[in-house]
Amino acid sequence: MASLKKDSDESSFGSARPTTEIASASPVARDLIGLLTHEDLDRARDRWRVTRARWKGRGAKRFGGLRVLWLLVGPGVLVFLGENDAPSMLSYSATGARFGVGFFIPFVVLTFVMGLIVQEMTVRLGAVTHRGHAELIFDRFGKFWGFFSMGDLVLGNFLTLITEFIGIRAGLGFFGIRPAVAVGVGLIVVVAAMTTGRYWTWERITLGLAIFNGLFIPAAILARPDWSAVGHAMLTWTPLPTGHSSEILLLILADIGATVTPWMIFFQQSAVVDKGMQPRDIKAGRFDTLLGALLATVFAIAAILATVPLFHHGIDASQFQAAQFAEALEPWIGHAGAALFALGIFEAGIVAAIAISTSSAYAFGEVLQTGHSLNRPVRDAWPFYSTLLGSACAAAGLVLIPHAPLEFVVLTVNVIAVLAMPPALAFLILLVNDRDVMGEHVNGFWANAAGIAVTVLLVCVGIGFGLATVFPSLLGG
Amino acid sequence: MKSNESDSRFPVTPQGDGPVHGIAAKPDLKDPQVVLSLLETDQVVAAKEKTRFGRRNLSLGVRLLLWGLRIYVVAMLVLVVVSVLRAVHSMH
Repeated sequence: MASLKKDSDESSFGSARPTTEIASASPVARDLIGLLTHEDLDRARDRWRVTRARWKGRGAKRFGGLRVLWLLVGPGVLVFLGENDAPSMLSYSATGARFGVGFFIPFVVLTFVMGLIVQEMTVRLGAVTHRGHAELIFDRFGKFWGFFSMGDLVLGNFLTLITEFIGIRAGLGFFGIRPAVAVGVGLIVVVAAMTTGRYWTWERITLGLAIFNGLFIPAAILARPDWSAVGHAMLTWTPLPTGHSSEILLLILADIGATVTPWMIFFQQSAVVDKGMQPRDIKAGRFDTLLGALLATVFAIAAILATVPLFHHGIDASQFQAAQFAEALEPWIGHAGAALFALGIFEAGIVAAIAISTSSAYAFGEVLQTGHSLNRPVRDAWPFYSTLLGSACAAAGLVLIPHAPLEFVVLTVNVIAVLAMPPALAFLILLVNDRDVMGEHVNGFWANAAGIAVTVLLVCVGIGFGLATVFPSLLGG
Repeated sequence: MKSNESDSRFPVTPQGDGPVHGIAAKPDLKDPQVVLSLLETDQVVAAKEKTRFGRRNLSLGVRLLLWGLRIYVVAMLVLVVVSVLRAVHSMH
């Protein structure tokens, strides 16, 4: 292909290109035999499981049977439940406490539809190219744009990681656990997950933890929601929120930032690559992403419903942190409900801390062109694991500094995520339309229309935020 | 692009000794050919490290789009700082 340059002088490997050629059938197969690594063997083992499951389930019409789905589910569920993180659940809780059941219920569903549109593209990119998002941006757009993109990611990821440890501290704080112990527990879980030396084990451990995001469901049921009002809100998007327009806009921004963020793009694409997914797995990858979006939507709405009693009793929750939400809810959902809520915030922080620190590590590894796989032993990929551990330790340490301006971080994290999203989406849409990279898997018309619509919407919301900041009186303060 | 839909390329035990007839119950990953038969060429670390997607030509429209969005992000980050300083000030 004319636009692809040969980057290796030493062999017949040639240029990267969109292909599904099996390695053993490749002209360079003989060269590869002596170069296989531990990472290749682990990935081959994962592929063998999928192949065998698909062969066994070859009678099944879609996907190749439940066993295939079980094996291929992971990145999509993790990315969405990871994004239902501590600041996101607090945004949903603040929404429920401030506005009750109404406009924001269907709005949150819409944000997850937006997230689904974006994340589906990352599945295709990862499965077709076998390369992470940061690597592709550097390859196709050069270092100049690559470093801008990485700057957005690093800033957003680090601020978000801090809020995860704030959530971990606050969640366990409800049970009287000291901050240093709570943060230490969080770090131990992150380290335990990363030292498995196997993507598959890491993914299953994190999925096991992520499912506890569902703790918000019993908390919501204990709040005895008015289901007819929920149904009415879903159909009519009413009652509309009332009050200061700037406050409403901020919550809209925070709720969008709770669902579509740059780290999700980088993480899911890298996870798809690390899992070893291939183009034939794209359908299953889509199912995985849809499942993740559905679960996350249900859990997010549960968080809103759990805090609706605060709205009905006129309690001002605008300055609440996690433990305060749980304490304030106790009279209405009981100690068990409040404990579930606090545990839910703790879990949200833990899973997101694992996913976001891994996202940073993948991106660094791709940019530095060093080993960046959870299938690699620590000694073979120490820059990757150091980034993962270093970012988690730095965020955890900051949370323990007395009088650190953490409210600054909590206030900004989801807003920054939304504002940094349009350039990330532009790179994503350009890459997924790049036939030299994607081959036959380029975006179709509707995928482009949906992706561009999401980008334009995010830009408009950002401009609205800008106008509200510069001219506070424009939107009624 | 080649089709990848056939399963015939995967390691087959002559005896069919696995629970599933035709595919080995456990892969012999000591055999490099088995490993290579399970991975696409670009999934093999050594092959991936030796090949890169080259730079694409950025049209004027694409460059304007990227610069526009970059300016947008920087301007918005300044506004976020202003907004948060106001909020923190009002908290105290």
